[in-house]
Amino acid sequence: MTTLLESRYRMVLRLLPAYYRREREEEMVEIYLWDVDRETQDQSRPTLGEVASIAALALRTRLGAAGAPRPYDRLGAAVRLFALFAVLLQAASVVVDRVLGLTWAATHGPAQWDMYVSGFTARGPALAVAEVAVWALPLLWTVAYFALLHGRLRLARVSALLAALPTLWPFLAPLVSTWFPPSTAFTTTSALFSWLTALALCAAHHRDAPPASLPVGTPGLAFAACGVVMGASVVLLPLAADTVWAPATCFAVGALGWLLWRARRDDRSTACGAIALAVLGLLLLTVRVAALYPWLGTPVPALVLGGALVQAGILSLLVAVLAVVGGRDLAAAR
Amino acid sequence: MTQATFFVLTALADQPRHGYGILREVEDLSGGEVRLRVGTLYGVLDRLTADALIVLDREEVQQGRLRRYYRLTDDGMRALTAEAERMAAGASAAQQRIAEGRRAPERPVTPPATGLGLAGGLA
Repeated sequence: MTTLLESRYRMVLRLLPAYYRREREEEMVEIYLWDVDRETQDQSRPTLGEVASIAALALRTRLGAAGAPRPYDRLGAAVRLFALFAVLLQAASVVVDRVLGLTWAATHGPAQWDMYVSGFTARGPALAVAEVAVWALPLLWTVAYFALLHGRLRLARVSALLAALPTLWPFLAPLVSTWFPPSTAFTTTSALFSWLTALALCAAHHRDAPPASLPVGTPGLAFAACGVVMGASVVLLPLAADTVWAPATCFAVGALGWLLWRARRDDRSTACGAIALAVLGLLLLTVRVAALYPWLGTPVPALVLGGALVQAGILSLLVAVLAVVGGRDLAAAR
Repeated sequence: MTQATFFVLTALADQPRHGYGILREVEDLSGGEVRLRVGTLYGVLDRLTADALIVLDREEVQQGRLRRYYRLTDDGMRALTAEAERMAAGASAAQQRIAEGRRAPERPVTPPATGLGLAGGLA
């Protein structure tokens, strides 16, 4: 007769994908119950550590561990590419944003520089530390990007998690200062974007996964190209308050380039790329719309509003095309 | 090679073992320092199987429950031997340094340099 403990272990093991449970469940249950007295099995429960280790195994097996069936293999490849593209986009975006901000403040007179510096110092020393951290920590996306492509997985993971931390500050700041609560939709979607990127990196780029590599180009070249596209997009259409503009433009250019590059290839080994880009585009579109929405009832310059609306339209179109291409490639690859 | 991987390979070096046997053996070999959880064990077993360092030896059903026994392959034995030799060389180097440190005469205690001495030129 099945004891309560056995049922509980089997419940925990349901975290694992079906193919893995078919192969391993009986064996694992045998280990769990080996030295537990049958009389006490109805009073025992799996420990948190046991549940956590199975959850970690479940994540790893679903994201393409060695010997996983093709769908899980593809899912793992797509998540790994998503993480890589998203880290690249955030890394280049932060560097461009900081460089342009500093350049603007330093070249427009002392009053502009004072205003830039007072953004850190005006609220006292404690909040100044927080402001400096919020300014500096996102630069670690760059460390995460290069560490990932050089196989330094632990450094990449820690850097990405630290880089994502400042997105939580707008939620915490009103609790420790006189700041107003943030614009919820934009702040939430921005935080979601950063944390999904960091979590995808941590989950999918594990030790058993194949090494991260870009489909085209070298790491430095890809980073520089993203930076140039983002910088040029801001110079061509300066949108000071729109932090989504540059990364969304870069994504649009990159995705379009990728579609053209893919059209010249006969094989369907790039199926995961289309899916990864579609998910990345969908997330960017969500942030784009969340940033755009509060402007609709306010007197925002027509150029700014029009630019953001056109960008949202282009992103929607690209996401749709990428999803269709990815779906077709996956079907062809089966 | 991670600590868990090393101990799992070591546990299988003398004879095939099943999952629970590996867990117990790893705990014994490490003097209780390494206690693998089942999820971790199977992560390691999957990786070692994929790398062809271990293979399934046999399956047994005991009281209605499945036991799978795993054994080292020749590649697994070579990998373990290489790792053990590397660790032994490191341990030997460390012991030699420790012995040299014990034999060395005690160094005279140098008084710490003070700011006054450096700046005032009294030395």
